Amino acid sequence: MSWITLVRVIGTLTCLLTIVGGWLIARRNFARLSDRPAVSLGIATLSATAFWKLSAFACIAVLPAATMAVANYHTFVGVHEVEACSQCHVMRPMVNDLHDPNSDALAARHFKNGYIPTGQCYACHSDYGFSGDMAAKMEGFRHLARYTTRTYKEPLAARTRFDNHQCLKCHQGKTPFESVHVHGDVLTRLQSSNMSCLNCHGRAHPTRADRTPGSARYSALVQAPSFTEADHE
Amino acid sequence: MSNGDEPSIDRRDLMRLLAGVAGANALGAATWGALEVLLPQGNADTWTKAVCRFCGTGCGIQVGMRAGRVTDVRGDELAHNAGVICVKGSMLRALPYVQGRLTTPMIRRGGKASPLTPATWEEAMSLVASKFQEAIAAAGPSSVAFYGSGQLFTEESYTANKLFKAGIRSNNVDGNPRLCMASAATGYTQTFGKDEPPGSYEDIDHADCLFVIGANPFHCHPPLHERIMRRKRLHPETTIICVDPRRTDTADHADIHLAPVPGTDLLLLNAMAQVICADGLVDVPFVTRHVRFTDGNASTDFAAFKAFLDANYTPEQVSQELGITAIDIRRVAHRFATSKATMSLWTMGLNQRTQGTALNAMVSGLHLLTGQFGRPGATPFSVTGQPNACGGVRDTGALSHALPNGRVVANAKHREEMEAIWGVPPGTIDPKPGLPAVELFEALGDGRVRAALVMCTNPAQSLPNSAVQSANMAKAGFLVVAEIFADSETAKLADVLLPAALWIEKEGVTGQGERRYQYTPRLLEPPGQCRSDLAILVDLAERLGHGKLISARTPETVWDEWRQVSAHSKYNFAGITYPRLKELRGLQWPCPTPDHPGTVRRFVEGSDPLVHPGTGIEFYGFPDSKAVIAARPYVRSPEMPSSEFPLQLTTGRVVEQWHTGTMTMRIPELRDGAGPARIEISPSDADRQHVAEGAPLRLTSRFGSVDGLAHITDRCRPGTLFAAFYDVKLLINRVVADHVDPVSKEPEYKVTAVRLELAQS
Repeated sequence: MSWITLVRVIGTLTCLLTIVGGWLIARRNFARLSDRPAVSLGIATLSATAFWKLSAFACIAVLPAATMAVANYHTFVGVHEVEACSQCHVMRPMVNDLHDPNSDALAARHFKNGYIPTGQCYACHSDYGFSGDMAAKMEGFRHLARYTTRTYKEPLAARTRFDNHQCLKCHQGKTPFESVHVHGDVLTRLQSSNMSCLNCHGRAHPTRADRTPGSARYSALVQAPSFTEADHE
Repeated sequence: MSNGDEPSIDRRDLMRLLAGVAGANALGAATWGALEVLLPQGNADTWTKAVCRFCGTGCGIQVGMRAGRVTDVRGDELAHNAGVICVKGSMLRALPYVQGRLTTPMIRRGGKASPLTPATWEEAMSLVASKFQEAIAAAGPSSVAFYGSGQLFTEESYTANKLFKAGIRSNNVDGNPRLCMASAATGYTQTFGKDEPPGSYEDIDHADCLFVIGANPFHCHPPLHERIMRRKRLHPETTIICVDPRRTDTADHADIHLAPVPGTDLLLLNAMAQVICADGLVDVPFVTRHVRFTDGNASTDFAAFKAFLDANYTPEQVSQELGITAIDIRRVAHRFATSKATMSLWTMGLNQRTQGTALNAMVSGLHLLTGQFGRPGATPFSVTGQPNACGGVRDTGALSHALPNGRVVANAKHREEMEAIWGVPPGTIDPKPGLPAVELFEALGDGRVRAALVMCTNPAQSLPNSAVQSANMAKAGFLVVAEIFADSETAKLADVLLPAALWIEKEGVTGQGERRYQYTPRLLEPPGQCRSDLAILVDLAERLGHGKLISARTPETVWDEWRQVSAHSKYNFAGITYPRLKELRGLQWPCPTPDHPGTVRRFVEGSDPLVHPGTGIEFYGFPDSKAVIAARPYVRSPEMPSSEFPLQLTTGRVVEQWHTGTMTMRIPELRDGAGPARIEISPSDADRQHVAEGAPLRLTSRFGSVDGLAHITDRCRPGTLFAAFYDVKLLINRVVADHVDPVSKEPEYKVTAVRLELAQS
């Protein structure tokens, strides 16, 4: 069992516990509980009132918090996996192209040449994770709202500039980057994402034309990608 | 809740619950709505496709605008360049707003010695027309000239060519493409019977061997370098061979770098041909079917060609003068011939040479010998220098010897065809070729040409032997310069300065290096009184009495006339209409009908509509449909080192700067990035001449002297110096030789014998 599956199982269990517990608590009449005998838990014996109040605390506070924590962990950390990104079918063209050894897109070249061994999507889009800024979170919320309400239109178009920091965090300071003196000419613009790295290094993913429904590549690009265990390591 | 044992929910509770759920949903929806409104939209509100203003790659771009201003420029991922541009293209956003634009016509009211002062368009154009009329009346039509640019729109170059050759009847129409592409044009024409590259940029994506000779795409055509490297990263088995006297950044990325002595690389090409012939690497079926041989005058055969090579061009015979070992020559020849697909890429290193035509033809000859032609990735590709040298000048025939679509003025049939198409009386076009660039400015100095119009170029800085040529311009009877700045070296010498519109301040079509025509829209109002060059030419035509001839007066009507002209030739791009250009990311000719998708590989059946079915490959430029391989003897450059001038100077561009720097030196990132131009010298030469880093040097050739600061770098091979030509503080072309190729008349910028002295600081 992969860890991502474990997170899902734990999240589902806590969620189910919350629902079942909440249902039981909602059926209790707390005013009449004092007449009831004590409840033995094996290691301790509680009055019925105390037991149900503790249960209520667990179901109203502890378990929802745990569920939220697990869900957020899943959201933020689960997206480290390429497979997690491909769950949304609008992301499939990006993932399929990433894995295409004949694609000349920047992401595919990084993948093919093993520049990023694991978590390839997240490596360049880490602002959706814990480390990203509020703007990325807001944009992520917007994407979620659009996706779940099906109010998006293919081909997807990025609304905001890609944050060059995602490139610079690996490339800046390394010889291949530093030896190109043009990088120095416009470093301030690059660091502020005022000028895109993609200007000189090309598109990262399939073109909008290829991602448009009905295009020659579209049906191949939206196939469900297959993953092996190795993809999760 | 009720008071019973079992809980129950009444209507009020239900309403509260539903209200809570609705409130939570409303909160989520409100957050989403707020984010849709508040999240930043990037740098621009609108994006419009256009074309880069700078090099001959002709990159498709997207111009981002907000509140009527250009706020961003990025590569167009749907264009041939797949979204890749370079630092100059990225900084196009700053170009419309640089300081110092010329915004009003200027004239000298008191003769040559008086300053340029503002004038109205009426005053300026009346003066221009009267001076042109005076010159024509006194010394005939050939006493006036037009000197244009590979940076004008096609509609502008076409109109100028038509006005001067069919209206004024002067063949003195030339331009800066003479300085960069003329040898490519003559080389292709001598080999295939037709000018322009047969292949496309996309051949880079299929080549297994890239033979880059006399080119430095890392600096001069960065998106092509990126494409080459994309190929390499995707297919690491691809071999990149770079031939350049300097260890350029391009050479750094190559698998094999050969550094010949400047001026000797025809020895390399001939020796490669010798190895190919001697080692059985010739594609015999291809050669038999598609090639004929000449000795430059008469037809010969393969045996004669091989004998010519065996006599003087074995690797061992050429090795010493060439400066490359025989082993390396053989290695490269074998790789060139045996790769699945070899693509050659070259530019000024071969063009700007006294043997430029021979060099160009011989590279194509290697492809023909080895059958490296017509398949994806197998093609001889001359990379062009300027964004519209191919479409605007080579195709329109806006050169002194040429007429549209590959015709020449010396050919009576060609003249008759163009006279009929243009609707002018037979005999209108002068049968004598006009003056090519170098001679044209010499004629301006000695009075053979009395009035000239220079548009969109800066010859006082860019011509070889530029001190002498600047003096010629200063002496000129009457020099009109249409410019965007008043302080260019040429503008300073003008008698009349006309303020021109720039880039997206006007609309028009450019044709880049792979026969692709692309449309640039007008997105900005020109500043002040600036006008498009087309408007200036139309005004001049009207004032000189040729208004009827120049009846097409808007970019689209001129283009429509021009594409109809092309239908009478093998260029045929009648199907490239303005609506298609506005919609598509350009089209490659031939493209005879409005439904034709364009031609990726010329002369190849299935791609080129002019090739007859069943022929496979048809070199229809010649009557026998065969391409030509000529025996090209190596002729030593007049600028080889001597005791008086022991070093050799080569010149070129740097990535941040465009040509003479008039635009790019005004953009801080590009100015600061390039820094001041230096004289690059190898460590061994510096040591021998006791030159320290940054030392002031005086460079002297047979043509002149220039002072500059030293930069010691092992990128230069010993004996070779390098300087870029963008910087007015190092006018390097003052020392550059102006010998020309006898066929193409293109000057030999790349080889000048010089000596070096420490200058007084």
